[in-house]
Amino acid sequence: MSDYILRVKEISKSFSGVKALDNIHFDLKKGEVHALMGENGAGKSTFMKILIGLVTPDAGEVLLEGENLIGSNVNETLKKGISMIHQEILIIPELTVAQNIFLGREREVSGKSGILSGWLNDSEINQRAAALLDRMGVNIAPKAKMRSLSVAQMQMVEIAKAVSNNAKVIIMDEPTSAISDKEVGTLFQIIRDLKAQGVGIIYISHKMDEIFRISDTITVLRDGKYIGTKSAVELDQNALIAMMVGREIGQMFPAATQPVGEEVISVQNLGKAGKFSNISFNVRSGEILGLAGLMGAGRTEIARAIFGLDQWDEGEVTIKQSPLRARTPREAINRGIGYVSEDRKGLGFIPRMSVKDNITLSSMNNHRKGGFIDAHSEESVTKKMIADLKIKTAGTGQHVTYLSGGNQQKVVIGKVLLASPEIIILDEPTRGVDVGAKFEIYKLIRSLADRGMAIIMISSELPEILGLSDRILVLSKGKQTALLSKEEATQELIMRYAVA
Amino acid sequence: MKRNAIFSAFIAMAFFTGCNQSSNKESGSDAGDKLVIGATMLSMQNEFIVNVSDAMEAKAKDMGVELITVDAERSALKQVEQVESFIGQGVDAIIMNPCEVEASSPAIKLAMDAKIPIINVNSETSAKPTAFVGSDDTESARIAMKYIAEKLGGKGNVLMMHGFMGQAAQIRRDNGAKEILKANPGLKLLAEQTGEWDRAKGMSLTENWIQSYGDKINAIFAQNDEMGMGAVKALEAAGLKGKVLVVSVDAIPDALQAVKKGTLDATVFQNAKEQGGKAIETAVKAAKKEAFEKEVLIPFQLVDKGNVEKFLK
Amino acid sequence: MNRSSKSGQYGIFFAFALICLVLALSTPKFFTISNLLIIGNQVSINALLAFGVTFVIITGGIDLSLGSMVAVTGVAAATFAHPDTYPLVVPLLVGLGAGSAMGAFNGLVITKSKVPPFIVTLGTMTIGRGLALILSKGRPVSNLSDSFNFIGGGNIAGIPFPIIILFVAFAVCSILLNKTILGRYMYAVGGNEPAARASGIRVSRVKMWVYTICGLLSALGGILLTSRITTGQPNAGAGFELDAIAAAIIGGTSTSGGTGTMTGTLIGALLIGVISNSLDLLNVTSYYQQVVMGVIIIGAVVLDGVGKKD
Repeated sequence: MSDYILRVKEISKSFSGVKALDNIHFDLKKGEVHALMGENGAGKSTFMKILIGLVTPDAGEVLLEGENLIGSNVNETLKKGISMIHQEILIIPELTVAQNIFLGREREVSGKSGILSGWLNDSEINQRAAALLDRMGVNIAPKAKMRSLSVAQMQMVEIAKAVSNNAKVIIMDEPTSAISDKEVGTLFQIIRDLKAQGVGIIYISHKMDEIFRISDTITVLRDGKYIGTKSAVELDQNALIAMMVGREIGQMFPAATQPVGEEVISVQNLGKAGKFSNISFNVRSGEILGLAGLMGAGRTEIARAIFGLDQWDEGEVTIKQSPLRARTPREAINRGIGYVSEDRKGLGFIPRMSVKDNITLSSMNNHRKGGFIDAHSEESVTKKMIADLKIKTAGTGQHVTYLSGGNQQKVVIGKVLLASPEIIILDEPTRGVDVGAKFEIYKLIRSLADRGMAIIMISSELPEILGLSDRILVLSKGKQTALLSKEEATQELIMRYAVA
Repeated sequence: MKRNAIFSAFIAMAFFTGCNQSSNKESGSDAGDKLVIGATMLSMQNEFIVNVSDAMEAKAKDMGVELITVDAERSALKQVEQVESFIGQGVDAIIMNPCEVEASSPAIKLAMDAKIPIINVNSETSAKPTAFVGSDDTESARIAMKYIAEKLGGKGNVLMMHGFMGQAAQIRRDNGAKEILKANPGLKLLAEQTGEWDRAKGMSLTENWIQSYGDKINAIFAQNDEMGMGAVKALEAAGLKGKVLVVSVDAIPDALQAVKKGTLDATVFQNAKEQGGKAIETAVKAAKKEAFEKEVLIPFQLVDKGNVEKFLK
Repeated sequence: MNRSSKSGQYGIFFAFALICLVLALSTPKFFTISNLLIIGNQVSINALLAFGVTFVIITGGIDLSLGSMVAVTGVAAATFAHPDTYPLVVPLLVGLGAGSAMGAFNGLVITKSKVPPFIVTLGTMTIGRGLALILSKGRPVSNLSDSFNFIGGGNIAGIPFPIIILFVAFAVCSILLNKTILGRYMYAVGGNEPAARASGIRVSRVKMWVYTICGLLSALGGILLTSRITTGQPNAGAGFELDAIAAAIIGGTSTSGGTGTMTGTLIGALLIGVISNSLDLLNVTSYYQQVVMGVIIIGAVVLDGVGKKD
């Protein structure tokens, strides 16, 4: 019994009559990595907020080493030993690493009392930070400015901050969403060290492979209800997905129902200095071409160049035998190209505009009546698209910023579709999208191909590339290293070409 | 990058053209043995100051001296710098139309130290210059308020519209007006408020006063014509013009027209032409080390319907 | 159509109503038809400028040259408005044309040079002031025709003409913002410029329009001011940009772009007008007026923020 550091019992919470959490249990042992799984809206974030004292539950207990934390605020739970590494890293870029680690605790570090306790003691802070980072085996200079660090390094600093707080429990919310594979390795090593020191870790991620790599125990929530807790070795990916979505997913990737048609787009010897060179491929109507490769292989850069967001230096692109050189996205759209960016927040949608306004943004000319907007046709087109794509929204007037990742992605796809494209470039279409919605997006992509569109899909998730693509183009460091058919492609083969 | 550089140069130009010098150098003439006078003016956006400046230029031409006029754009700091550069250029005399009583004073000391005569025109500094040419602002308000007292028979309700609070002219005109009010206990100051020397503001303020006091208003004293014109517009719109006396100060052309038409009852003429001309005369005398008056006070004149023709050009 | 800004609007409406109520109770002169007409009249110029700058702020920009444009366009129009010279349309077209041209110049420099709007319009603010002085040779342009003076001083059926202009402009601007594709694109550009571009919107063209419209509305304000005070003043309009921006922001337009409504801006402008009118009615001395005005502005926005919370 005493090896549990955190016990959560019968937690319930309602927001304006809607049950967000219903009788949740959760136990965390010393030195355990406990994954918390669930689709968006399952109640994970409310649960986290209760743990760190941001939200007070209606009923239940949170016991940290036997002490009930209910009623403690964020600062108190932090002092008692619960730290959270947020998905969006909260740092002050102009301060140094050491200053960030000890932010808010300068007084206790300064070692002085009375009036002098307000005096900064940077050398002490630097020494302590250096020792801390050293102990973690991380090579980051304490005096480096935060903004000079990579995202992964910033995360290490966040963890160091938690460790320096003598955290007994560290909550990690999607810690790998913005870091490279190699950096994930470093992160996992640190997690293992923390385990060895007896720290309990609550790990939240959408990435299945990571969950199985790092966690000991998995608890699943669904629709605010506790579904179950299993040891990681008892579960496989499909069983876990079944727990999360509440049904078996036999076939994640729908197969083609229509034959492939004529060539729609052809790319010849495309090159851009420092980004990519000698890229040649074509895509036919009804075909899905997967673009595989590691981060920085030049996949997104090719997509941006074709779509007119950037310019290429050499080579040519033809659409149905006539040359294309888009100087702006508008020209590309007019030539029948649609682009769903990997950077959904940056390039995909306008957060403070409604679902309707976003979805019709690229096709406003279809809703022109005299000089004015034909609100009626706009509304009906939007309603149809919401139904077609099964977008979960309170209505056409809902702001996109309040939708889940998967539904935001669907809005962006809807916008692209309404401009009647013949070619769609999808860049990481399921990034930050939960499992159930992923499945729907796969179905959607396949149905678009079946309707005769040519599709280029960039993805870093190999199962996705393998499951959906008809052909796979592999890139490595800006060069194309293989063009594989669906039949010959395997994870190993793709990886081999991707690192070539 | 290049674009940015060009653009910032362009912006910089836009800023610095403000301190460009406008000189009336006649091309080909032998400027060598001519006297050179540098003049720094409070603001060339102010009509009265422009008039003074024009008078100075005309007089300079008459007397065959070269005049360099710069605009201090209401910045005392700029004004001091301008005087410094006059000293550097070795001008024979300096005329300053001070921006501020205190902050422009260092310029006087600089010129004195360089042994270059410096003449203040139109308003004063706390440091004493070689000579002062101008009028006493307090007097202008006394004249205006006396006129009101006379017309109302020493009894009635008066409103006063101030200039920018804290400026020398506002303070003096306030003092002058209050002196006369004190001497006439039958006059009641109903309200006073700033119109910031501005016509539109003066108009709005009067509209609001009409709401508050309506028929009770007997006279409005505006510390300059711009505000006075605004008051007239507002009173006309409310159909009260015939009942309320409006008097202001400066005698700008618009105000003279209004006096002629009878909409503005009176204004006080401050003689820009005399001020400008006398300033140049005094500067030339001082530069040639001839005898000159230390203080040239140009009297104000009340302008009403009876004598307005004299002032209209 | 825009949820968060709508709730913001309610907040500001509440603040506005509250202040009006307090004023109506503290002075009986406040809530009279004649005083309300006076407020409308006084507010009209600032409101026109605020409408213009609302468009600009919605696209994520700013325009500091409004006040200078008021002066240039006022002087330009006045130059052609002397009695028995040109028909009334000439000064109007000259003024509106000058304003649109200056606005278009702002838009052109901003879209072509990529210099932030703050800097560009700071530059044109000075340029404009200089142009006004050059055009007028530093002197007010007076002696204007009666027909020109009617614009700012006349009334139709007892309603001052500026109020009529104000409401027509309000209706046109609201329709432009809510019912046209250009208006939709303004929100998109301000809400997320890269995404708007990637959606096929010609961002530069939208910005050109917005600054030109802002120039046009400034010109309307300039003509109104010139007509109201019956002179073209080269130093008129100084600081007007701040009042206009304040009205837009009080009305719930976010300086980060993407949100804002004309109704909000109108209320913002009315709020500022009501406060200065009533402080005069209550004979609050000018030193205190400034303090009170600042406190009420901050208070209104705070109240607005409270109303905005979910």
